[in-house]
Amino acid sequence: MATNGSVPTVTIRIQRFNPDVDKKPYLQEFQVKAPPGKTILDALHEIKEEQDGSVTFRRSCRHAICGSCAMNVNGKHMLVCDAPLREHLDRKGVLTLRPLAYLPIIKDLVVDRSSFWEQYQRVKPWLIPPENIPEKEFRMSPAEVAALRDAEHCIMCGACYSSCQVIALTKQYIGPHALLKAFLRVLDPRDSAPAARLADLDRGDGVYRCHTIFNCIDACPKGLNPTEAIETLRKLVIKRQAFEAARAERQRRLDQPIEVVGEAPALSGGE
Amino acid sequence: MYRSTGFIAFVLRRLTGVALVIYLLLHMWVIGGINGGAETFNERMEFLGKPFFRLLEIGLLAAVVYHGVDGIRLLIGHYFQVTEYRRGLFYAVIVVSGILVIAGGVPILLFALE
Amino acid sequence: MRIFLMQRWSAVALLVFLTLHMVVVHYPPGHIDVSRVLERLDNPLWKAIDIAFLVAVLTHALTGAYMVITDVQRFNVYKRALAWVGVVAGVLLFIYGTQTILAF
Repeated sequence: MATNGSVPTVTIRIQRFNPDVDKKPYLQEFQVKAPPGKTILDALHEIKEEQDGSVTFRRSCRHAICGSCAMNVNGKHMLVCDAPLREHLDRKGVLTLRPLAYLPIIKDLVVDRSSFWEQYQRVKPWLIPPENIPEKEFRMSPAEVAALRDAEHCIMCGACYSSCQVIALTKQYIGPHALLKAFLRVLDPRDSAPAARLADLDRGDGVYRCHTIFNCIDACPKGLNPTEAIETLRKLVIKRQAFEAARAERQRRLDQPIEVVGEAPALSGGE
Repeated sequence: MYRSTGFIAFVLRRLTGVALVIYLLLHMWVIGGINGGAETFNERMEFLGKPFFRLLEIGLLAAVVYHGVDGIRLLIGHYFQVTEYRRGLFYAVIVVSGILVIAGGVPILLFALE
Repeated sequence: MRIFLMQRWSAVALLVFLTLHMVVVHYPPGHIDVSRVLERLDNPLWKAIDIAFLVAVLTHALTGAYMVITDVQRFNVYKRALAWVGVVAGVLLFIYGTQTILAF
């Protein structure tokens, strides 16, 4: 980090790749001022506007909720809009930006996520409601909500998918993002088809292709826990008929007030 | 490549696993020498009696012990919610298997150097 | 599911059998000779234990190899054929191994 007056200047190395011209991706260096509070995304914008207009990256909301700007910063996946520039420098004070791994590169930091979305659709990520939809509202107990373990906070940024070592080997694996969504739907008391969902996961490229490497937890910028969700699904897959029967029983009193029995299970996030 | 303790554990698990499958076939072939009479058996045993193979046995022990202890870690992960402690568990596996390999390896080493 | 569960139960069985095997057969090293093995395997119970051990180890090795190979997308296309190769190899190795154990 070279100091220039009071504001230090840092080096940002960006992996460039233009499929029309380049055979292989290469790294290009840029110098950016790093005042406190500046995010990596701000730096990318500055480079694009002031130094090289051809630098390509995805971004949209700048509030860490759209999931567009996930990329690899010094070996870690993160949302660059949420990452302060000065906190992620390596020991030499350099920042290396690469696109999400294992996915085909379209240009520079933009990757082709079509396999990600195809696998996501496989788990039918929508709610299948019961026939007796209550007139007013679905009632859920705090324990039932807590059991979902924040899975609904997933923003589909692709960080877990592209950190998964199994995805590196085979794109046939359904992926941690899809399994986390399946977990959300299966454990939701409002969903009426958990057995069918679990049956679809009960195959070689479904829930059993996970090798418990924990990379998805390390990579998730929202601190979610896909690995634990997959472990839960594995147990439910085996006893899915009994689980569906219990769900049908539960849905008979969907509009009833919930009796809170015992304490809600503790949330277990990544970090 | 996303480097993490889980990734290292995965690679080690795969490498030791494949090595052990190859060893298993070799082991069965050597012991299976008994089918061809005591002579074949002794011949094949003698082939493996060389000091080089005895030293290799320490590597075998390390592979078996690591694969086994790592398996215990995975089984714990299947049945208990321990993802928060994933790094600690990995280091514990390394330490425990290290101790077991040293405890088991010293007699082998002494025997090999005899 | 079947392969995953086969791998888990054989893993648990191996934790027991392999520890037993290492302690009884291989320690202290250098003690291994035919007479000692023969003496132990005179007992039909040990023969039964060794055959169960053989089943567990073959299950674990073959399911493990199958998982390693089918993890790679290129080979996943042949997973049916690979599964049958595994079953045949398992049966053949079981026959060979059992024959060996009973020969002692």
